[in-house]
Amino acid sequence: MPSWSSFQPFIPIGLALGGVYALSGVGMVVLYRATGVLNLAYGAIGAMGAMISWSMINNAGVPQGWAYVVAILTGGFLTLLYGTIFGSVLAARDPLVKAVATLGFALILLGVMTLLWSNSNITRSITFSTDESTAFTLSAVSVSWTQVLAFAFGLLVAVGATIFLRVTKIGTAMRALADDREITATLGVPVRRVEAAAWFGSGLIAGISGLLLADLDTLDPSTLTFLVIFTVAAALIARLRSITLTFVAAVVIGLVDNLVTPINSITNYRDMTPFVLAIIALLFFARGRQYSFARGGIR
Amino acid sequence: MEATGVVTRVGSSVRVSRGEGIQLAVIAALLVFVLVGLPQLLSLFWIDTSTSAVVYAVAALGVGLLVGRVGMVSLGQVAVLALGAWVGAKFCLSTSLPYPIVLLMSGLITMVLGVLIGLPALRVSGLYLALVTLMLAGAITVVLTVTNFPNGGKGFLGYDENYPGTIRRPSIATSDPAFFRYSVIVAVVMFALVVWHLRSKPGRAWAAIRQSEPAALTAGVNVTLYKMWAFALASFVTGVAGGLLGSGAGKLYTFQFPTSQSVILFAVVLMGGIYTVWGAVLAGVLLWVLPALFTIWGIDSQLPTILFGIGVLQVLTTAPAGIAYQFPRDMAKLGKLLYRLVRRFTPSASGAS
Repeated sequence: MPSWSSFQPFIPIGLALGGVYALSGVGMVVLYRATGVLNLAYGAIGAMGAMISWSMINNAGVPQGWAYVVAILTGGFLTLLYGTIFGSVLAARDPLVKAVATLGFALILLGVMTLLWSNSNITRSITFSTDESTAFTLSAVSVSWTQVLAFAFGLLVAVGATIFLRVTKIGTAMRALADDREITATLGVPVRRVEAAAWFGSGLIAGISGLLLADLDTLDPSTLTFLVIFTVAAALIARLRSITLTFVAAVVIGLVDNLVTPINSITNYRDMTPFVLAIIALLFFARGRQYSFARGGIR
Repeated sequence: MEATGVVTRVGSSVRVSRGEGIQLAVIAALLVFVLVGLPQLLSLFWIDTSTSAVVYAVAALGVGLLVGRVGMVSLGQVAVLALGAWVGAKFCLSTSLPYPIVLLMSGLITMVLGVLIGLPALRVSGLYLALVTLMLAGAITVVLTVTNFPNGGKGFLGYDENYPGTIRRPSIATSDPAFFRYSVIVAVVMFALVVWHLRSKPGRAWAAIRQSEPAALTAGVNVTLYKMWAFALASFVTGVAGGLLGSGAGKLYTFQFPTSQSVILFAVVLMGGIYTVWGAVLAGVLLWVLPALFTIWGIDSQLPTILFGIGVLQVLTTAPAGIAYQFPRDMAKLGKLLYRLVRRFTPSASGAS
């Protein structure tokens, strides 16, 4: 077992990545609660935003700040576009069908990205100006502002979403939608508009987390698309409901994934963390249950 | 509305009808053509592509069985295929067992592993199962990145980066065309195995489970057993296909099995059609022949990925039974339309003469 000091540098990294997983996890869960759609294209949408901003910075010379704004808006509008077209078409279908449909969207985005940025010899990266600036130093480990920012964003969105769903009018409408779409519509809630707000909002979060992951991890369409697995694991552990639990699970996944890095025997297997933790959680939830009567299949 | 359509179709496939004889004759003719004619007509490039298509058609059969017959969405079947390929390569390189035994072993071991890994997943259904299998696909890729595929090196993992070992082929099928024929025959056996299951007791149990799990339970169907059976059967055929994959290529690399490939396989299976086994054949063709055609035509090979994505959305919104169901009906409609057009003009023509 390596000494404690070799683990230390991985704590801020783990917390930062965990924060981003929490950020996208909360965005995913809020959308799922409002519309019943588990957006598996979340990673691909974020990646698209990040790739576009990379092109704007490196090929068009756009100032970084503006490029990042465009990336976030790309996330918002792409998600809204999908939601307006397919959200309503598939509204009455099984959650499974809705989730599988977003995989189709993810494939389209992944294909388009690989087509547009086909030269794989270029090492692309997104580097925030905050990467090098040290926020504070904890026992010889310096923590960058980007890492602080990533974790803070995750915490902020988790707290913000909880308050938003509980206090605001549109948040209440979203919670009502989660229970029954038809009855909510009968009560006079503008269902389409509330859903559009949920799609757009969660899309903006996808854009932000895509950018942060591009900086903290790597800027590669395929990698970013499938980093959604970390987010899905967190959302799954929270049973696609609890925002608090999503946040906690995401931070734990981020921490465990990075903290095992110095342990030589399992370091190469560390990216199995989301799967292992989610399976443990599922077994824990399913203990003593004989059957689950969730509706299955493509209907 | 869609669901009832499915029931009648499943029902009619269980009965032995007059149309079945014609169907069998068509299959036999097609097989003779594929086994005898096709290898003569195709270049080496197309034979290799076709072998891959055949192998992936068997994997697609497993996906179609799980999704279309039992209603379990598995997004990690390429990872299972990789598992089978690993076992097959291991047996080919470190034993001198006859090739059919090697295939049987890779099928059986993949089946055991698949069931072991899938056991916790079977406790959940619907959306959760889909998510667990997606994560599983990612996890198996992580393991394969570390272990690599055996290439004749020492030790249990059998990987040595400096070792040029090639995964052997059956002695009766060492050339590419012969191995293509061999793969087709193995694939036909796998298809027959699955069709036989579908037409007997397990098939009926699966149909009941897909319609409604509580109803199946009430009717006395052992839901857990038959779900596991489906998982085991799908893993078995996918494992056998994996065994073929290694021998076809001679060498296996982890990058051939990215997580995205599992999602793409699922997409083409949906496009091909999940309610008939022909959908699986179409899926194999879509997955390998289409990109190969695009490469030859000089169109970017990423375009199929986009098309598959569009295909998934199209299938889910308008054509839930896929191409294998939709295409013959669309063609029949077109035929009727043409027939009516011809008839409308024929009497006037005869009247004029």
